[in-house]
Amino acid sequence: MQIFKDASVSQFWIMLVFCTIVYVMIRRAKAGMKVPPIRKINGLEAIDEAIGRATEMGRPVHATPGLGDISSSETFAFWGILGHVAKLCAKYDTRLIQTNRDEYIYAINEEIIKQAYLEAGRPDAFNPDDVRYISGWQFAYATAVLGIFQREKVAANIMIGYFYAESLIFAEGGYQAGAIQIAGTTSTFQLPFFIAACDYVLIGEEIYAASAYISKDPVLVGSVIGQDWGKIAVFAFIIVGTILANVQAQGNWLKDILSK
Amino acid sequence: MRKELPLLLTVLMALLVIFSYYSFHLNKLDILGTTDKWVTISMTAAVLIGTINLTRVQATNVIRRKEGWYNSLILLIVLYGYMILGLIQGLKGAQYDWLFQNVWVNCDSSMFSILAFYIASAAYRAFRVRSKEATVLLVAGIIVMLGNVPLGNLLWNQIPLVRNWIMEVGNAAPMRGILLGAYIGAFAVALRILLGIERAHLGGGN
Repeated sequence: MQIFKDASVSQFWIMLVFCTIVYVMIRRAKAGMKVPPIRKINGLEAIDEAIGRATEMGRPVHATPGLGDISSSETFAFWGILGHVAKLCAKYDTRLIQTNRDEYIYAINEEIIKQAYLEAGRPDAFNPDDVRYISGWQFAYATAVLGIFQREKVAANIMIGYFYAESLIFAEGGYQAGAIQIAGTTSTFQLPFFIAACDYVLIGEEIYAASAYISKDPVLVGSVIGQDWGKIAVFAFIIVGTILANVQAQGNWLKDILSK
Repeated sequence: MRKELPLLLTVLMALLVIFSYYSFHLNKLDILGTTDKWVTISMTAAVLIGTINLTRVQATNVIRRKEGWYNSLILLIVLYGYMILGLIQGLKGAQYDWLFQNVWVNCDSSMFSILAFYIASAAYRAFRVRSKEATVLLVAGIIVMLGNVPLGNLLWNQIPLVRNWIMEVGNAAPMRGILLGAYIGAFAVALRILLGIERAHLGGGN
């Protein structure tokens, strides 16, 4: 009897192995066993500095998850940071303008920010008009964000998520407005733009470590360590695969197994 | 219940989607196709939420006569005017299509073309020789740019080859490394959500 869909057996087992690695690390952390710390990530450390600067200048902070939709893992990474940013803004009484191009994400962001203000003991300071749905169209959204940068003179611009061509429009617009800029994405096409135009950049997987890094929760940190072990396993596969591809003249058992 | 119910729904749907993808029998039931339809339906409903927010924010600007309130008024007129025109004429209506092709497309293209100027200003800052890293960036950037134009070949016929090596080896290797790390990171995030550890999206941090 066929259990697996064609060409999905190896995918399933690889997924299961990764799940096990991450799960074991989470269990170890939950059991109170020692979990290695996450290295210093400058981009995440700079969030407090950026909001502090905005507070001193009396100007707002802007945050965007980019163009990723609700199913993007990058959007979840943004949510890991948004609660922290909103709490700091509420604590320092700094205005937070949060813009969106997706209606779903807008609704969730509003809830996250509202909850953060509540937890900071400043529910009255929450302004629903500062969490904005702009447009589902890429450049209409970019245009509106540029307008906000110029009109509101934002002092800090936090861009974490999945970005397309609007990345540089945001980054340059923020630079011209004199904002300190923290960006993060997994899009390798947009990373060079961010690196050229922003003060701090979270590269690739660093954005996924944000919630663990900020909360310092050992269970979340454990999952990041599991993620690192998974990465080591993948690189071991690459090295073994490269050796086999060069040594064996015909056929490659590793490739055959992974193709099933 | 405010957090538990969404978490339970997330776990149930995630397991359903995962097993539907891998299982031979569940795959035949086209569960993924059905859930995609659910997403489309709920996205249509979500458009209303976005429209309400847009209207509220812009109408507040107009009512309170905030700076640039007339821009908000134009936005509201365009938003509802175009919506009504679309409802009357349909997507293939003559005026509806004319406005799209002759106003919207031009505005969108203009914004896209602004990128060229932003690339020039960002490149100027990035290429300023301030450190060893910036020097490497400057040299690599010049070679890649020269390799993309006939002038590079005219100066030295090996420049296109060097450009290809930078793009296909020097550039592709770290890009793939970043992508591998990102995919594994995304996988760990998915697992954290599935196990209910990652709750930032439910509000109130973790």
